[in-house]
Amino acid sequence: MGHQFVLLISATIFCVGAAGFLIRKNPLIMFMSVELMLNSVNFLLIGFSSFQKSMDGQIFALMIMTVAAAEVVVGLAIILTIFRTRHDMDVDHINTLKG
Amino acid sequence: MFSYCWFILISPLAGFVLLSWFGNGMSRQRAGFLGCASVGISFLITLIALTSFLLGGENEKGGISTLYNWVTAGSFSLNMSILVDPLSVFMLLIITGVGFVIHVYSIGYMEKDPEFSRFFSYLNFFIFSMSLLVLAADFFFLIVGWALVGLASYLLIGFWKEKTSAVLAARKAFVMNVIGDVGMVIAAFIIFDHLGTLSFLEVFAAAKTTFRPNDDTILLITVFLLVGAFAKSAQIPLHTWLADAMEGPTPVSALIHAATMVTAGVYLIARCHVLYELAPFTMYLIATVGVVTAIFAGSMAMVQYDIKRVIAYSTMSQLGFMFLAVGLGMYSIAMFHLMTHAFFKALLFLSAGSVIHGLNEEQDIRKMGGLRHSMPITHITFLIGSLALAGFPLTSGFFSKEAILINSYHADMGNIVFWAMAILGAIMTGFYIFRVYFYAFSGQPRTDVTAHESPLIMIAPLGLLAFLSLTAGFGGGMIDDFLVNYFGTHMSHPDDVLLETIGLSAGLIGIVGAVGFYMTGKDRLEFAKQILAPLYDLLFNKYYIDEIYDFLIVKPTRATGAFLEKRAERLGIDFAVDQVGSQVREVSRLISLWQSGSVRLYAFNMIVGVVTILMFVVFL
Amino acid sequence: MFELDLFELTKATVTMLVGLTAVLASLGVILCSSPIYCALYLIGHMICLALLFLLYNAEFVAAVQIIVYAGAVMILFLFIIALLGGKKEIQEPSTERSLAIVFVVTMLGELFLSATVGPTRPVEGAFDAQTVAEVGGSAKAIGLELFSRHVVAFELASALLLVAAVGIICLSKFSYVPLRRRMK
Repeated sequence: MGHQFVLLISATIFCVGAAGFLIRKNPLIMFMSVELMLNSVNFLLIGFSSFQKSMDGQIFALMIMTVAAAEVVVGLAIILTIFRTRHDMDVDHINTLKG
Repeated sequence: MFSYCWFILISPLAGFVLLSWFGNGMSRQRAGFLGCASVGISFLITLIALTSFLLGGENEKGGISTLYNWVTAGSFSLNMSILVDPLSVFMLLIITGVGFVIHVYSIGYMEKDPEFSRFFSYLNFFIFSMSLLVLAADFFFLIVGWALVGLASYLLIGFWKEKTSAVLAARKAFVMNVIGDVGMVIAAFIIFDHLGTLSFLEVFAAAKTTFRPNDDTILLITVFLLVGAFAKSAQIPLHTWLADAMEGPTPVSALIHAATMVTAGVYLIARCHVLYELAPFTMYLIATVGVVTAIFAGSMAMVQYDIKRVIAYSTMSQLGFMFLAVGLGMYSIAMFHLMTHAFFKALLFLSAGSVIHGLNEEQDIRKMGGLRHSMPITHITFLIGSLALAGFPLTSGFFSKEAILINSYHADMGNIVFWAMAILGAIMTGFYIFRVYFYAFSGQPRTDVTAHESPLIMIAPLGLLAFLSLTAGFGGGMIDDFLVNYFGTHMSHPDDVLLETIGLSAGLIGIVGAVGFYMTGKDRLEFAKQILAPLYDLLFNKYYIDEIYDFLIVKPTRATGAFLEKRAERLGIDFAVDQVGSQVREVSRLISLWQSGSVRLYAFNMIVGVVTILMFVVFL
Repeated sequence: MFELDLFELTKATVTMLVGLTAVLASLGVILCSSPIYCALYLIGHMICLALLFLLYNAEFVAAVQIIVYAGAVMILFLFIIALLGGKKEIQEPSTERSLAIVFVVTMLGELFLSATVGPTRPVEGAFDAQTVAEVGGSAKAIGLELFSRHVVAFELASALLLVAAVGIICLSKFSYVPLRRRMK
């Protein structure tokens, strides 16, 4: 399949992820949406690495996975801590950063 | 050629640095020794330079020793260099010589002061600054030294910083001196603008060809230089600080406010005599101001009761004589009087210091009396100093003052008015100093304090200075021969027996007058006071000059300040600043509403931003 | 010149199907109200993506995708859900949400439009299996690249993982509440 297929699919997944981040209130699912967005970009990189006959895209994808793994681990730990202190999973109630 | 002369500067500077850094940890002996030794080394090096002048034929005009090129900016070039010539060596001899003697004296005078080492570090700093002033080879370093001696003077007047009057006096001296500094700087600017250089020798060489006599420019330059000279040497109208400067420790008064720093103005005019000879108007102005200051200060000295203030006014008066001399073009006579004055005035101050020391910080002559029995040596030295100041025959002051008096008539610009005023000044001199002498040393003690003679370390410098005050007058011819290499003209000795006799008798008349008033009972004195009451009040209040300055300058400035504070500051500036502050706060409050703390709103904003950017990418 | 290549056709069909499945699975992630279903949909989505990677001749990344994402990361998610309890989320429509969806759809439209513009560099056609086989497989190719040109990035990534490990230890060890008590 051509490059436009890759672009369309990854754009769609990215927008689905963004929508999920905006409309969901559960931080866990918001995290999953972030993973969706990261994965869409990974797919884009892999596809274009193939089209450009270059390994760079795959290396990038690998790095993004590493970063995503680290991010998920830390993020989940933060969610856990928040839940332990507040017993509340609604992000709209977490507004201590209010200026 | 004269590179060793740099050590004249380095030695006191090193003393200053060492004393100010490590002084607190030093014992008094060590700090005092260090302070004296650093000046002593300078004195020895100056002696070497003097010897090389006296022996060496080819470099008798002196030379410049350059360390390195400091600044080059366009056509402006400035070297780190010193000018060693007869005039600077002559000044250095006085500065380091008298300075050394006064350093030694200070060890005794300041023995009980808790901040002994600070005092000596300041003194060393002063010696460094003053040496820099006279060794400077260009106007730039002259001004640097000029300002640094002002700073040293400020630090030393305010040395007893817990005394409010001392701090105020220091501030006054500093402000007055800075007025002079500004004048000097402006003069330097004009010089550079017209001649393109600041180096003395180049300026003097160029000035002769560039300027015609009494040119506008040369008049401006000389007058602005004169502002500096008048401020530093306490001439009218910038004289008010000197009497107040007596709040400082007495060795400071002797060193800075009698022997060395205040003579810087005379030195400046002598150094720049080439410029001044091109401006006869300014010369006339100098002579006039000098002679007016001489009688003006002398008259104030006649009625003061603070022993140090009397000597301070006397210093102003004698400086007036020096200015008269330089104003009439008699430079070597002025320098000669400068030297003898340094000796006998330092002697008088140190003797007065010895009296004050012996009477436990008593300065009012009405509370002294009969000290000739309890302080015999101080009595003798004070008497010698007084005689020299009054110009008693064959003392040093006699020769130098006589030369000024006679030349004030016989010099090219001299006239009968100058002469008469100078004679009047000389009569006052004899009167006021013997008034102090009779008050302090004759009669019966007026207080219960039992005076005691000062320790040897204070007496020895007095003895040395007394010897010099008696004999230095005979060196006039030598000094003239030495300085002719710089000034190019010899002292003139007009033969005029009549004037000489009058001049000689002037001092004696003053002395006799003092005897008449102060040795023969109170009645005559009280009678004179009543008759001359208005005049007496005028003199006692120093011609109300301080009050006039207060009324003309300080009060209007304060009033303007208060007005601006109330109107412009509160209603204009404060209001504007407050408004800026509160408006910024209001706007930021509005902006901070945006920071809701809601993560999803932030993410939404990001998406909006991305959408907007993509709009540009896609549609443009 | 039109020539029907059965293999290519099959591959294109499969790619299309897997891609659509991935999109559907992602929609499932954001639309399910129960977190546990969301996580399961996400696993499905990951597997679809891994298949897509395979179809684009990136075998190594596909394997990593399965192991790291579908394996480790999703297991972590499931554990957290089990720990916190998979409470259902009541989703009521609100202006905020509709506004967000409007903007996201706008963004999607813009992305689609930009996708039709075409690449700035000419597309040379996909990797074929032979090219990958010539360098000795995808893993070897990546390894060669990773340890030669990208070695700094590699080391930094490993450092990042270490920092993350230390970070979560701190987060879980020193909880917020006792810290507050200690400050008093």
